[in-house]
Amino acid sequence: MNWWEVLVQQTINGITRGSVFALIAMGYTMVYGIIELINFAHGDVFMLGLFVSLTWFTLLGVTKTMTGLQLITLLPLVFVLTMLTTAALNVAIDRVAYRPLRRSPRLAPLITAIGVSFMLENLALLWKGPAPIAYPDVFPSVEILGGWFGLDSAIFLTTKDVLVIAATVPLMIGLHYFVTHTRWGKAMRATAQDRETAQAMGINVERTILVTFLVGGALAGAAGLIQGMYYNIGMWWMGYQAGLRAFTAAVLGGIGSMGGAALGGLVIGFLSAWSDQYISARWTNAIVFSILILVLVFRPHGLLGERAADKT
Amino acid sequence: MTGARHAAGITALVVGLLVYPFLDRALGFQTVHAVSDGMIYVLLALGLNIVVGYAGLLDLGYAAFFAIGAYAMGLLNSPVLGSPLYGHPWSFWLCIWIAAAVSALLGVAIGAPTLRVRGDYLAIITLGFGEIIPVAIRNLGDITIDIGGWRLVDRLNLTGGENGVNPVGRPYLPGVPFETDPTPWYFLILVVGLGSLWAMTRLRDSRLGRAWMAIREDETAADCTGVNPVSTKLLAFALGASFSGFAGSIYAAKLQAITPGAFEFQVSIMLLCMVVLGGAGSLRGVILGGMLITVFDRVVLSQSTFLVRALGRATGLPLLATIDLTLWRWFFFGLGLVLVMLLRPQGLAGRRERVLVVRDEDDTLAAEPVAPPARTEAIPAWLRERSAEAAAGTPLLEVRGLARRFEGIVAVNEVDLLVPRAAIIGLIGPNGAGKTTFFNVVTGLIRPDGGSITFEGASLVGLRPNAIVARGVARTFQSIRLFPHMTVLENVLVGEHCRLAATVPGAVLRPPSVRAEEVRARERARALLAFVGLADKDGDDARNLPYGDQRRLEIARALATEPKLLLLDEPTAGMNPNETERLTELIGLLRRELALSVLLIEHDMEVVMRISDRITVLDYGTRIAEGTPAEIQRHPRVIEAYLGTGYEPAAR
Repeated sequence: MNWWEVLVQQTINGITRGSVFALIAMGYTMVYGIIELINFAHGDVFMLGLFVSLTWFTLLGVTKTMTGLQLITLLPLVFVLTMLTTAALNVAIDRVAYRPLRRSPRLAPLITAIGVSFMLENLALLWKGPAPIAYPDVFPSVEILGGWFGLDSAIFLTTKDVLVIAATVPLMIGLHYFVTHTRWGKAMRATAQDRETAQAMGINVERTILVTFLVGGALAGAAGLIQGMYYNIGMWWMGYQAGLRAFTAAVLGGIGSMGGAALGGLVIGFLSAWSDQYISARWTNAIVFSILILVLVFRPHGLLGERAADKT
Repeated sequence: MTGARHAAGITALVVGLLVYPFLDRALGFQTVHAVSDGMIYVLLALGLNIVVGYAGLLDLGYAAFFAIGAYAMGLLNSPVLGSPLYGHPWSFWLCIWIAAAVSALLGVAIGAPTLRVRGDYLAIITLGFGEIIPVAIRNLGDITIDIGGWRLVDRLNLTGGENGVNPVGRPYLPGVPFETDPTPWYFLILVVGLGSLWAMTRLRDSRLGRAWMAIREDETAADCTGVNPVSTKLLAFALGASFSGFAGSIYAAKLQAITPGAFEFQVSIMLLCMVVLGGAGSLRGVILGGMLITVFDRVVLSQSTFLVRALGRATGLPLLATIDLTLWRWFFFGLGLVLVMLLRPQGLAGRRERVLVVRDEDDTLAAEPVAPPARTEAIPAWLRERSAEAAAGTPLLEVRGLARRFEGIVAVNEVDLLVPRAAIIGLIGPNGAGKTTFFNVVTGLIRPDGGSITFEGASLVGLRPNAIVARGVARTFQSIRLFPHMTVLENVLVGEHCRLAATVPGAVLRPPSVRAEEVRARERARALLAFVGLADKDGDDARNLPYGDQRRLEIARALATEPKLLLLDEPTAGMNPNETERLTELIGLLRRELALSVLLIEHDMEVVMRISDRITVLDYGTRIAEGTPAEIQRHPRVIEAYLGTGYEPAAR
């Protein structure tokens, strides 16, 4: 492999990783935008999305690589079912652990969020056991450059990479449309700017928060499904790590900003892929966290976020 | 509890603690080992309590300090990396202090960049450090830097890597079997733990402890009361970390082996659980929480596993018969955090939140609180002494061409204002005229875009609010900003913070000078409270005071900073006529008797016109008039600003 082939390969890896981070980061950024809570359990909703999607596949009888017809019928169905499950889970978490603390000091719901995160992780641990689980190779993996175009290249680009993009981009566009062009989206933006005023204007704030958790949970579920199909492996502790990277992405992009979350996700995807290649995978976590700390300290409004006026 | 019973309780506790290991041996329980381990975690939780409970900074990476303490001991007092300190009888006793110092330094290093960051971001940053430290310890055990085939560093071992450090030198005392018997460890940890507890109690009751709590309650208000948030938070981080340095080094020496896996995120969360469960900010609560969680973790889970399994066998449920509840420990910790925050956020030992008295309009009218009259003879003597220094002559405060813009909106535009000594200057104007912004700029909360602020001949521009307070400018807020969960007396004592001198060693050791200072501070605070008419309420929580009392308490707190200039932002807002009258008298008294200058924002025209020497009128950020009350009342632009054009001046 040439040096540039390595770079291209790692960049492709970065895009696929980054897409998953971006989907998770959306959930962080939306929830933070609206109730100023770092939803620590969000990464674990993603992890459960992976596990739950596997269950749905199994219930639908898909245990090996899907055929053409299944790809256009069952795959979308599993997407919908998984997203509905995690959306419901996310809403339930809000109802039980965050909603009673809406008027408490900011750190109170953060502490319950950490508690919920621990509970979810350990439920997954008890459900699936401590060892990594194998996620069946349900999505056909065909090498594109060599297999389809007959190119003699060391770069490995498969249909799975295309799947990640093909699933993420429409979700992002759909979310963008939802936030900018629907009543609920307008309510979300209004509530994020000023909860009291939004309430005074007749917006049902609690229901808007519910919708936010619903959408964030659905996206995390989609991310879990994509992750499972792409990497064919799942661990009970993966939500913690993915969640922190996605949160880093959200902060890097500018917390509260959708475009920022997408951009931040890609940047973190690239950086972690490059770090794995050029520095060492065992330092990647330290590098990502250093970025997180540097951004929080020196540019807390991120790349695209507006400077939040601190209420004094 | 009466004093005698209290003393008896303490005696029983001490005897119990001393007798326990021998009783344990006699009965053959063999629990001393486990109890000592549990005590190490309690000590850690107590250190975390300084950061989380007192200073209100959520630290999610406290295990990093634990790791640093353990590794400082491990690396300095172990043959693994060839430390020259290893193998001497005094090694442990020296290294434990080095470990605490290293941890404290790291606390400052981690704290310093994060101080400007908001609470939840700070939590995430500490979490990030908590993740980085174990990663660094793991990877620094085997460093190879290879640049283009040139080996810069080859397999350098700085930390022992994944294998950890083993062995670690034990403490040595002549004739004490640290090698074979857990009992000496028990007593070592007991001594360190009680010493820490003693130091923490004294810190909590000192000016430093009050500063932590003030920062926790309201950072801006604390800053404007003379507490330096930066050094206060750094001190909390450093001290919190230093206790974990002690705990970590004992842990390393006791276990004889440390690995990076012992300092992961879960440990930080378990410690946080202890603090939150017991009640953040309460020493007794944290000890209780620590003991409960340790017992739960080591005893309840394993014992109840047997019970549940027996139940499962009896009922024929295979699910129950094979369960291992110890695998559920982290689940229960998570559940514990959620339940405590939802059901009892103040913790098991925390003070129960009293239901807030609803302070609406009706309540004020119904109760019609009557404020005590302000009496000349009630002025605290010590305030009088201070004021004697103030000499007449140059203006006290001189503001020239002050400007402040907010994204295109000019909030304060080229405003000049002069406050002579012993004068009352009114600052009036319609809502949104920029009066409070003017206050915020003068007191350092906002930086000016232009102009000069000179106080006693020196510029205030660029100083932090607490430095401006130290120069002699105190303020109150339009929306009262007390420290709600501190007592009335403590609120005033925080005001004295910048006039007190006790440092950490002073606060812990309490030499006579510090003791005298503290006694004097309390006398002064009580005298001030008597002056504003709150003498009998000094033990109440500030948030439980009625509205008018809160206003007066805020003024007492400002006076406690020994100001030469007092900035009052709508002091009579929300007061009934009687309270307004009393407060007006009080302000006049301060000027007359203490030669204190007052700059006053006030909407009650009657008050302003009556007590002000001169009045400055702002409108849309610009000074439109300045003069005596009589001049201002006739000034056409003032009338225009208040009533709009086309009105004839109404007779007052």
